[in-house]
Amino acid sequence: MKKYWWKILGVLILLYTFLVGLLTPLKTGISDASPLSLHTGRSETITVTGYNSFFTKEKEKLRAWLKMNNDKALAAKRIEVVDDRVAKLTFDIPTYLPTETKIVDLTLLIDSPTDGASVLPAGLVVTQDSVNLALGDALWPNTPISDLHEKSSMTFPFRNILGETIRNTYYHVPLWMAMFIILTGGAIFSIVYLVSSNPDADRKAMALSNVGLLLGILGIITGAIWARYTWGKFWSWDVKQNMTAIALLIYGAYFVLRGSFEDPEKKARVSAVFNIFAYASLVPLLYIIPKLTDSLHPGAGGNIAFGSQDLDNTMRMVFYPAIIGWTLLGLWIGQIILRTARLKDKLMDA
Amino acid sequence: MSIFTQILFLLRKEIMLEMRQRYAISGILLYVLSTVFIVYISFQNISPQVWNVLFWVIMLFASVNAVMKSFVQESGYRQLYYFQLLHPVAILLSKMIYNALLLLLLGGLTFVALGFVAGNPVQEAAYFALALFLGSTGFSITFTFVSAIASKADNSSTLMAILSFPVVIPILLLLVNLSAHSIGLLGNTDIGDKIMLLGAVDLILVAMGLVLFPFLWRD
Repeated sequence: MKKYWWKILGVLILLYTFLVGLLTPLKTGISDASPLSLHTGRSETITVTGYNSFFTKEKEKLRAWLKMNNDKALAAKRIEVVDDRVAKLTFDIPTYLPTETKIVDLTLLIDSPTDGASVLPAGLVVTQDSVNLALGDALWPNTPISDLHEKSSMTFPFRNILGETIRNTYYHVPLWMAMFIILTGGAIFSIVYLVSSNPDADRKAMALSNVGLLLGILGIITGAIWARYTWGKFWSWDVKQNMTAIALLIYGAYFVLRGSFEDPEKKARVSAVFNIFAYASLVPLLYIIPKLTDSLHPGAGGNIAFGSQDLDNTMRMVFYPAIIGWTLLGLWIGQIILRTARLKDKLMDA
Repeated sequence: MSIFTQILFLLRKEIMLEMRQRYAISGILLYVLSTVFIVYISFQNISPQVWNVLFWVIMLFASVNAVMKSFVQESGYRQLYYFQLLHPVAILLSKMIYNALLLLLLGGLTFVALGFVAGNPVQEAAYFALALFLGSTGFSITFTFVSAIASKADNSSTLMAILSFPVVIPILLLLVNLSAHSIGLLGNTDIGDKIMLLGAVDLILVAMGLVLFPFLWRD
């Protein structure tokens, strides 16, 4: 038991990740609104579809705004609740907007005591035929947003394009992080081999690189599945997708290299050198190049990554254990590969 | 001898050997001319985009062929002799510089041949020359290093291709982008970034090669 406590821990953490990750509901959000394009000087009715919303509960206390910025917001004149998920909001849009441009993006905000506040960020476009800042300022009936309800319960955040796919954060991202941790171990053992010429270090490097490659492939597959539902297709020739494929190809080449040697010492030495080279190319390929070019992927070219916008505390509760869980699982697989390799070598020598 | 003098000495030696036998240069010449000829026959009219891609694909495969012989042709006894006399960094750098010069020549040749056959779409020659320079150094560094690794193995020719292609893909992407700018296909948006990126990739590869090569050399 003392020798394999970490394996059981890994499995338990992953079970926790799966259960909590898949069963926790999402917070209320706005999944659809139509029409999205409005015009000044009219009374527009927007039909809003909520996600996990309960509009019919306390429908008198439901409030809605079109928010321009932190100071200026336009309250809804009338709210008609059709059912739990659908509500019709009527806004009287003044003839001029207090802006310098003809086209303005407004944020839709709905607040209710049961659901809390939900947002459709910059979702609605208002067009005005001519710009008149002074009149706009005068005509804007400003009802600033106040007293938003906050619900504190175990829910995951609702992001407009992601929706339910946000749960993939427990598979895709931790797989990559576990891969990185394990490949770091592999590179360290390669360096140890070059310094000490201990054949076991080479076997460990091989086993860890093997697991790293497996985790990387799983990472790309989960990423492709995520891309299918958020970007439209499995493979968009996005920079980060391409670079990760190249990084995995380099590790694949590592195994081809190992296969082409007969002499075990030569094999170990040359593959250790190549392993360090492959590891050193991971950081530029996976992190630096995508950050420099435009990429759809979060965290590249100006998109937000793991800031306060993407992970809130409820998600963190499952996210950090998930990384540990996948790493432990990877180490278990690696250990089995290592033991098989040791036995193989022993049989060959005997 | 200091490392610098060693590098110069080795470089002179390689060039002299090449001048005597002209083995590599004639091989490359033949390769480029036949590839360009096939291209000419297959495509009747080459648009600038196609010209761009074809140029770099021909460069890529000709480079692999050219550099492949770099370490493979050294015999075992001579290698031991070198090991005793010279610093491994000098050997690697001299081969890289020699191959870079070879590939530069190759690039110019390909450009002339392809231009002769399909017209010259290059509008900003400076960018194209820069791309050629950075490209030949990048290819030379990658292929020389991989050739050093592959020469230790039994099945070296296929191994060289397999090991080098993943590494060369990012370099190739940047080069095609840069020369597309010079042909006038893309707008001039943040091209400075791409040039710096290419230079940075070259530097990283050189650094890694220099650090790792002495371990290979001990054999």
